[in-house]
Amino acid sequence: MTAELIIGGLASGSLYALIGIAVVLVLQATDVPNFAQGEMAMFSTFVAYTMLNTYSLSWWIALPAAIAFAALQGIVVQQLIIRPLLGSPTINAVIATLGLNMALHSVAGMIWGNLTNVFTSPVADLPVFRLFGVNVSPDSALTILVSVAMIIVFTLILRHTRAGIALRAASQDQAVAKLMGISVSRSFALAWAMGSVAGLVAGILVAPILFLDVNLMAPLLIKGFAGAVLGGLSSLPGVFVGGLLLGVVENLLGAYVSGTFNEALSFILIIVVLIVAPAGIFGRVKSTKV
Amino acid sequence: MNHTTTTALPARAKSSRDQWFLGGFVVLYALIALFSGGYFVYLLNLIGIFALVAIGLTILTGFSGQTSLGHAGFFAIGAYASAIFAQRWGVPFWLAIPLAGAFATVIGALIALPALRLKDLYLAIATLGFGIVTQKVIFEWRTVTGGGGGMQVPMPSLFGLSVADGSRMAWVIAATLAAGTWAAFRLASSRTGRALSMLRESETAAACIGIRVARYKVVAFALSAFYTAVAGGLYANVVRYVNPESFDVNMSIMFLAMIVIGGMGSVRGALLGAAFYVAVPEAFRGFKDAPGLIFGISLMLVVILLPGGLTSLLRARRKAAS
Repeated sequence: MTAELIIGGLASGSLYALIGIAVVLVLQATDVPNFAQGEMAMFSTFVAYTMLNTYSLSWWIALPAAIAFAALQGIVVQQLIIRPLLGSPTINAVIATLGLNMALHSVAGMIWGNLTNVFTSPVADLPVFRLFGVNVSPDSALTILVSVAMIIVFTLILRHTRAGIALRAASQDQAVAKLMGISVSRSFALAWAMGSVAGLVAGILVAPILFLDVNLMAPLLIKGFAGAVLGGLSSLPGVFVGGLLLGVVENLLGAYVSGTFNEALSFILIIVVLIVAPAGIFGRVKSTKV
Repeated sequence: MNHTTTTALPARAKSSRDQWFLGGFVVLYALIALFSGGYFVYLLNLIGIFALVAIGLTILTGFSGQTSLGHAGFFAIGAYASAIFAQRWGVPFWLAIPLAGAFATVIGALIALPALRLKDLYLAIATLGFGIVTQKVIFEWRTVTGGGGGMQVPMPSLFGLSVADGSRMAWVIAATLAAGTWAAFRLASSRTGRALSMLRESETAAACIGIRVARYKVVAFALSAFYTAVAGGLYANVVRYVNPESFDVNMSIMFLAMIVIGGMGSVRGALLGAAFYVAVPEAFRGFKDAPGLIFGISLMLVVILLPGGLTSLLRARRKAAS
């Protein structure tokens, strides 16, 4: 029983972690907490859904095309909305992402309607299997595996590719990065594209479980933020563990303490953790010069 | 997060200009309340109520730089506390609302304690947690709040005269708003207001010149909670029916959007932001899905084209004139 709850928690936690990582990639690069992340993910998931169902394309075509769309979406948002706001107070960019969130929400409602759609999982045909005596649903297994793979890919891109290293340099110091010949806005576009793709993947993973409608991602976005803050915003592994932890804790609290209060209890827990560790569990406290 | 500061003006010139602005606002409000009725007055009431919230949030976020994503919680506490005082103990509305405000002030001060060490996004998420917990408690505490079924608010009356009908509530809200705005202008130029602004600029610097950082953060949270809860109490008496679903995270986010749209850190901006928040979606109500799209796009346009918010329009024109 407990083991199954933990597996379920890890599955929902890895979705929180993916969204959290999408947010933190952009946050570290541009200092903007992207509140449009949820609806950007919802929008690109609907694009994937349209290709799969309306045009009945195979996963092998639809998935790369949806990833390309998500990357493009991230780049367009960065260049059109965020770039003009670099240099003005962060809160302005936050409000711009909120505006984008609302706009995307209603545009999606206009295009796809406000009905609930069934998004068939790529592993829908597989049976529930047993792993070390624990029942694991194929959806949970896929979610966990894909999320871990995404984290590894992102970490490799950031550590070992020229574009990734340029992005890290640009996040640390824009002026110095420019002097080293790095195109800062191109680096930021990369961060937005990566964040947007992570959101799409989370959307595709969660849509078969919760059904697809325009309100799919809003609760997930808040959990993503909460998990990221719990882990600490300064490192990707921290964000990942924070998301997983939130998923597991929420599932266990829901089963053993109170089914109706699990969300509230998780937030109380986050607040308590933040009182003890104000920069998250794995976060480093930045020392600032006066 | 860094916030724009209001441009430094000589204190006396600024305060007399603010008084003109405030006077103009009140006269406009009164004219609408007198000469139009029904739905317009209802919208006007909403603008007045949200303006109070915006002023409260301006004290916390605009003056002292603490970001809150949980103000729907204080708003809900104000609405429910005043409704419960009136319904259970028959407290008249003019007493129930300040009592609800006082109750929320205590909660605001308590919330400030864990928030003392948190900054930026961490503070935003912790306050967001407060909003979610508050909404959940209202949902589940059925015996007192009526749970998800909501709660009727008794007819507000003053000296045996019903305040609910016509535009009478508008006068109550206008008076409260005028008092709240005046107090906020006074606060901005007082010792406390200057200490709060110093917190926003640099907590370290504030501590170095002897400002008690912790104490002033608690004061900012408490005052902000008071304004927001009073607004919540007025809201309950205008709509006469409260329901926990309306006090969600979106509402907190919209409160924050109001003060940025209006112009961060200025009381004038708070009033303009509230008017924008009520009027813009209302203007496009007829189109399905369009209000969200248009409001979303206008949020983006305002922050991109007017980084100082709507209030910078007034300021720019004045600069051009002089």
